[in-house]
Formats: sequence, structure tokens, C-alpha cells
Amino acid sequence: MSSDHTHDEAPPLTEEIAPGTAADPAVGGPDRATVTVDGTSVTVEPGATLLDAVEAVETDDYVPALCSYDRQEIGPRSECRTCMVETDADGIVPACSHPAEDGATVSTDAEAAAEARDVNLDLVLSNHNLRCTTCGKNGRCELQDAAIEQEVEEPRYGVLDDRDEYEPIDDTSSFIQIDRNKCILCNRCVEACNDVQVEGVLRMEGSGQDTRIGFQSDAETMEDSTCVSCGHCATVCPTGSLVENGIEDATTIPLPGFTQKNSIGKAIESSGKSKGPMTPKKRATEHESDPATNGSAPNTPTIADRASDDESNAEDATDDWAGFDGGEWP
Amino acid sequence: MTSTISAAGTTIRIADTGPTPDLLAVAGDADARVVEVGPTGVPALEPLVTVTAGGETAFHADCSTQELETIVESAADGSAVRAGDPDALADHEPERAGMPPVDLPGLDVGSRHVLRGAGWRNPTDPADHDAAGGFDMSDATAVRDTAAIITGRGWGDLCQDEPLAATWETAQDADGDPLVVVNAHGNPTDALLLATAPFEVLDGATAAARAVGADSVIVYASSADDRAAETMRAAAGNHPDTAVAVDIVTGPAAHRAGEPTMALEAIEGNHRLEARVRPPGPESVGLHGQPTLVHTARTLAQLAVALRDGDETDTRLVTVEGDVAAPATVELPESATLSSAVDAVTVDGAFKAACVGGRFGGLTANLDIGVDPSSLTAADLGTEGTVQVLAEERCVLEFVGKRTQFAADENCGRCVPCREGTTQLAGLLRDIYDGTYAPSDIEELVRVMDGSSICAFGVEAGRPARTAIAEFESELRAHADGHCPANSCPAPAEVT
Repeated sequence: MSSDHTHDEAPPLTEEIAPGTAADPAVGGPDRATVTVDGTSVTVEPGATLLDAVEAVETDDYVPALCSYDRQEIGPRSECRTCMVETDADGIVPACSHPAEDGATVSTDAEAAAEARDVNLDLVLSNHNLRCTTCGKNGRCELQDAAIEQEVEEPRYGVLDDRDEYEPIDDTSSFIQIDRNKCILCNRCVEACNDVQVEGVLRMEGSGQDTRIGFQSDAETMEDSTCVSCGHCATVCPTGSLVENGIEDATTIPLPGFTQKNSIGKAIESSGKSKGPMTPKKRATEHESDPATNGSAPNTPTIADRASDDESNAEDATDDWAGFDGGEWP
Repeated sequence: MTSTISAAGTTIRIADTGPTPDLLAVAGDADARVVEVGPTGVPALEPLVTVTAGGETAFHADCSTQELETIVESAADGSAVRAGDPDALADHEPERAGMPPVDLPGLDVGSRHVLRGAGWRNPTDPADHDAAGGFDMSDATAVRDTAAIITGRGWGDLCQDEPLAATWETAQDADGDPLVVVNAHGNPTDALLLATAPFEVLDGATAAARAVGADSVIVYASSADDRAAETMRAAAGNHPDTAVAVDIVTGPAAHRAGEPTMALEAIEGNHRLEARVRPPGPESVGLHGQPTLVHTARTLAQLAVALRDGDETDTRLVTVEGDVAAPATVELPESATLSSAVDAVTVDGAFKAACVGGRFGGLTANLDIGVDPSSLTAADLGTEGTVQVLAEERCVLEFVGKRTQFAADENCGRCVPCREGTTQLAGLLRDIYDGTYAPSDIEELVRVMDGSSICAFGVEAGRPARTAIAEFESELRAHADGHCPANSCPAPAEVT
């Protein structure tokens, strides 16, 4: 790597990362706790939430906990509220982000909790286009699983079926396709990108119905973003909203002439001018260092590169790459 | 600026919500002390010029520069207070520290405790506040005892309708140095207090800081309330208690920015406002991870006044707005009813209903309901401290629909029951125009939003719809049958 970088001078990795999400406190109980779930006693470790206890036993009712991931440094986002349970102490609470405190008593089949889970799942579906037959995640989709398990036959608020309201599919990246019409805003991709990979590409943006996954670089498309194509976002996505290119049709039901793209009706296609796993902004950074003396692969930006990422150099560097329009690495 | 309270001779006070350079220029010629005293809470009377000499004050409502010229000339003659045909006169003790009772609409309602200095004292002059018994330095125990009685006011308060003390104990016991945030965002009364009585607010905030061992107070206001932030900044600069650092921070004007955790996000400088998940609440992990008390300006002023007076006279500040000639903020004893608040204003037309308790308050046609929180809650009304008057020609469905659409547009977008729930609720209300009135569907949705949203925004967003079904069902049903009883909704288009 470039020799003029010293790690001492680099700001903390996360300093510039702006995921658009709240600075949530750490949730989870302070101590090891014994909790009673639907009459069954279960002991959980310090830091556990009620969901940990709920998942440890056979519950009376199904608790979808749709947006929960709770692995690595992802979640709980406590966004979808399909994990509501009733507690003796606090009434109905979201299990995924409520601390498991010693002596707590949880009921999954209490009427108010069951109603909240049911209505909230239907509310999630109300903003989802539910075109499962043309979706590459058909059959391995957590929303689909939850809806089947919850025996949703006809969501009470319907589904997003107005094609005028569809957002175009972002098919500009060579590696990851985004279909925001399937996004449930669980935030896993944003956390995977920012907290696990420390890439700072994705963010939550907007408010109300305009809330969406966007890019911290203010880019409009995946192609123009600073994505390094690590794929973690697609790995954690519970629906078909973020999928790796090449398998976007992996599990669609073959109907001749009927694909995910034409079912949505609109897609933003790749410009073709940039290929490869690195996007212009990061390529600019890479260009600053000398590939000739660089032992590592040119498509592997380092921590130090990220820290020195400089917008002002981006344009020049991009120009140097302007003539490069092949599908292979130099 | 000269102290107004200890002054002998004539004092001319100019009270207004906005700046009054013309009046100040005229008054500058007077042989009297002239003080710009900030708003009174009753804009219909403003600019309000008062002339005080000895134990008598003359009130000139909506005072013009010509009128003030007459007053100034007469004062120069020595004919003093009654010159210039005043709208009202009040006798009082000579060195009164607060607005005397006076027979003027809006000022003749209730009793002014928290608002006593409003429109009377120089808001940024510590000498005035000191002379009025301010800068109370009650010890931490006394403050905590009072905090066990005072309840939090407004949706921006972490202890809404709950006594403050329990939350304070949590903050004291939590890891890290506690902080105090004064939330003056999102309610006209909180902005009014900053603009007219900032030292009362700071007294409460510094008392709270002493009680929990905090050495920093952050005052948070909307960037739309310039006057409030500027006055508070000036007052903080003049504050004699240097033991507590006071910072003033403004945040975006969006309604949601007043929610306590979104207020913290705004103060921390997040570019996107989103409610934080709880528990643990800000009292354990708040601003920059430190335990944080978040109280509205109203709560803290109430605390300060209670500490100083040593009595437990609980009053409520209520702002009446909507279909009225001019809004007004009045202070009422908790034994008063909503009708006394509405009496303080002139309703445009015939009174029909009121939306009580903020943007997402409850609807009622009955004003014979106490302004204390338990009476309001029992009537499914909000305790935010606002009464929005709806006149006869105002359509309830249209009103509720607009409030709900506002909720759908303005929520932070984080949790499903609020983000998607408000959208579906607006749709269910719109369906009424198409002949589909499904009260049980609306009630089910509102129940879930209330029970499972992350913050008060989503919890309260369904209240206008819920209370409209309870109180104005026939009016909603009439729309499903194709007509608007208030004759304000456009007739449905003929479909051929």
C-alpha cells in the first residue's frame, strides 16, 4: 500500500460512516436470567433478550420476529414488531429488543400480542409486491416463511400492487441487484455494510413512505456507489430485495416470457462503462497508490485507503479510467 | 438594561411576540424606563404596552406608534399612568414581580404562576429574575422531593404525565455523568417560555442538574423558533450560576424532532432523525451514551416555580388555537375545565369540537372536562397542553384525515406499526368517502399502532381517528352515505 499512510493518523474507521440510523442503546438484560415463557422456565445468558428465551422453548403461538437477525453485530433493529409478546411487568413488548430480566413471565398467545404480530406482519406485506413466482428468493425467503407459518392467506391490507408505485430495479451493478419493492427495511444490509464490513456504502434515508435503502455517497445507483461488492448485504437480506447477480432467477417458477424485471416494469441497467467489483470512488483511491509496487490485488482497497478517501481526487482518477470499458481487470 | 422591578418612577413595558423597533424608537423619547419584555402568551393583545408607576399599571392593547406617542407625551407632563385612554387598569403592590391580574381577554383567565414574569419582566435580565425570587438554590434533597410531585408535561418530556423523581434516580444510578436536556421543540408553549421566561426554565434545569449531579444543560429548540433560541442564548450568557454549563442547540423544525429520543439524535447531529429503541431509555443511555434527563421547558419551569413558592399549586399551561381569532396560551389551575381555556379566545363561528392534546390529540365536543392529566386521559384526550378549536363548518372526517396523512408523511420511518400503519389508516379513512366505513378495522389498526410503535409518534397517531369514531360516528357514517354534514367536503363526482 501507499507508503505515505500511517495508521496512527487515520481517523477511526467508523468516524465517517453515516448509516442514517439511530444510536440505539445496547439492549438485553444485565445478568443471567430465568424467564418463564408460556409456562416453561428457561435460563438465558447476560445480554439476552426475551426473544432468546422465546426461541429456546416450544411456544404456544408462532413469533415471527421477521426483522431480527441477531448474529454478528447486526440487530436488533426492532422495526417490524412481529415479535410482540405479553409480559406480566410491561404489557406487550417487542421480544427482540426487550431485556430478559430475571423472573419475567412471557405469554406468546395473549390476545393483544397475537393481534399485534398478525397486524404488523400484514402491514409489512402491505408494502411488499409479493411477486414470489418471479423472485429469485422464492422458497428461501424469510418473509415468505413467516407469512406461511402465520397462515396469512389474504393480507388484510393487500399488497403493493400498483405498478406506478414500483421503484425501478437497480440492476446497474455487476454483482448485486436491488429491488426495493421487496425491501422490508429491516436494516440488516445497512448494518452488515457499516458495522460488520465497515464499508460505509449503504444507509437508511428518507422518512415516512419515502424511507428507503440508499447510498452514503449520495449515489443514485449501485454502480455509482462506493460498493466493493463484498456481498454481505445480499447474504443477510431476508427477502429478494438484494440478490447476487447471476442467481436472481434461481428459484423462479418458469413462466415463459415472465420475469422479475418485466413484472416490475422498470429497471435501471448498467451503463456498461464500469465493470468489476470496484466503483469509481474507490477506484480513485486505489489509483493513488502505485499498483506496480502494490503486492495486493488492485481490487482490494485497504483500511488505510478508505481512511484517505478523498472526493477531490475522485474525478481526475475516474478520468484516467475512462478509456477502460472492458469486462476484465487491467 | 435597567432592572424593571426595583425601579422607582415610571416604567413602560413593550410586550410582543416579534420585535418592535418602531415602538421602541418612540418610547425611547419617554422620561421613563423602557423595557422590551417579550411575549405575553396572548398575541391578540400585542403589541401590549403597559405603563407602571407606583402601584398602578395601565394596559394599552394592540398599541400603535401614534398611541404610544400620546402616552409618552402625557408621561412627560407628569400625568403619568392613565394617559392615553388605556384599555384596562390594574392596582397592585408597587414592586410587583409579575403581571398583575387584569381585565383583558386572555389575561383574565386562570392565574399566572409559571407565566407570571411573561410580558412583564425583561426576559434576559438576571436582576429582574433575582428580584422576583429567582435563582433559587434549593438543595438536592428539596429538589428531589418536589420532583416526586411534579409530573412531566408534553410529548417531548421523557416523564410525560409521570412524576420526575423515579427517572432521576435511574439516571443517578446509571453509568456515566448525567446530562439535562431542556426540550423546547414542538410545542408553542415551550417556545413561548424560552422567549419570555428563560430564567424560569433555566432555574428548573439547573435544579434538576444539581439533584442528579449533572454539570451540563443542553437547551434544544426548533430552528423555526429564532426568538426562543436567541432569548435563551442571551439569558444563558447572563446566567450567574456558572456551576452548570448551558448550551443552546437547534434542530430541524419537523414535528418528529420533538420526540425525546429524536431530540437526542438531532443534538448529536445525526443527519437523519429516527426514534431510538427503548428500553433502556435515555435516563440510562442517552445523549452520547450518558444518562440523560429530557424534560420540556414547561416541566422545568413548573419545577422552578414549585420550588420557589414551596406550595403545590399545580397549574397547566394550555395553548388554544385552530378556528379562533388569535391563539392564546393561558395558565389554568388543574381544577379548571377545557371550557375556561376556550373562553380565553374568540372562536371563529360556532364551536363544534376540539382536538385536545397536540397534533395527535383526541376529539371531543364536550369541554366540561378537567385540564388535569387524569381527567384528560380518562376522556381519551391528550395532555400535550393544546386545544385546537374546530368551528361548526369544519368537517371532522377531513380534519382527522389530514392529521393522519400528516402522520403518514412525517413519521421517522423506522417501525412498521407507525410507518405502514399510518399509511393504511389514512387509506381506511379515505375509503369512507367511497362508501366503506369499517370502524372495527380502524380500531384494530389503531390498537396495534398504539401498542407496538417505538415512540409516542406512532402510539398517538391513531388517536384522532379513534376518538372521531367514538364521538362523531354519525358524521363519519354520513360520508359513507355520500354527504358531509358540515357541507365542507366536495360532493362525490358523478360516476356515469
